[in-house]
Amino acid sequence: MKRISVTVSLNRSTLQFDDAAYARLDQYLAESASLLEGDPDPQEILGDLEQAVADQCTRRLQPNQAVVTLAELEPALEEIGSVQVPGAAAASGSTARESARPLQQVSEGAVISGVCLGLARYFGLNVTALRIFAVLLLLLSGGGVILVYIALMLLFPYAPLQRGAEPLGWLPARSRAFIEYVRSKFRLATN
Amino acid sequence: MADESKLAPIRKGLLEFLVLKIVGAESMYVPDILRRLAGTEFATQEGTLYPLLSKLRREELVLYEWQESDAGPPRKYYRLTDAGRAQLAALDDYWNRINRTIADIGH
Repeated sequence: MKRISVTVSLNRSTLQFDDAAYARLDQYLAESASLLEGDPDPQEILGDLEQAVADQCTRRLQPNQAVVTLAELEPALEEIGSVQVPGAAAASGSTARESARPLQQVSEGAVISGVCLGLARYFGLNVTALRIFAVLLLLLSGGGVILVYIALMLLFPYAPLQRGAEPLGWLPARSRAFIEYVRSKFRLATN
Repeated sequence: MADESKLAPIRKGLLEFLVLKIVGAESMYVPDILRRLAGTEFATQEGTLYPLLSKLRREELVLYEWQESDAGPPRKYYRLTDAGRAQLAALDDYWNRINRTIADIGH
């Protein structure tokens, strides 16, 4: 038996997505939500974006095609574009926005999943020092830190991948894919 | 062609003014607004426009109404509030003054 598609409710529309398209959409909406951190009304904007995705994908479906794939979703997301917060760039460029971001995992340049890198960026620490500290804690705690790390992997959203950056390392790519898979399962189960 | 990095902030600052102007002329839903801007210097995307409209709605400059559509779910049609109309008039006036200043200065 194979699951072919997921039914996705997007604001006022309902569409069928295949697994790959569903994972991509989930990532896009999570990125949008993290960019809207600090906006007083993110739910309204996310709802509008969901509707825009639904409209764009519906328009791109072939007459007898029922399931949205990446072939429809990617150009749709390209046309919608990533979230631009009004006034953010005008204030003082990207630095103001970076610091307003929540704690995130940063996949690019990560060793495992990017938790240390994310923490270091957020608190303005030296990432190497933080990693050494984490390894020391690991030795002293007798492994308890591993549970904390896994909890943080599930808790911290992933920072959006930079366009045109180097491909991710083996472990960061796998852990990101795994965590996103776990989150999507969890979300399906709770819906 | 001038340095793009010098021009982008100008466009960004003016987008709000243009959106007020567009929905001030007639009430519109977002794909119409995007079509109106497409092909101009201010061509933009849903990802930019929805957060901006949300901000303008919170500032009570625009409001929207749901309208049924022939195809698909109902659509949000945006229009100006009275405060939005006053804001647009003030911006229009300011823009004209700036233009006169720019034209006059340095002569």
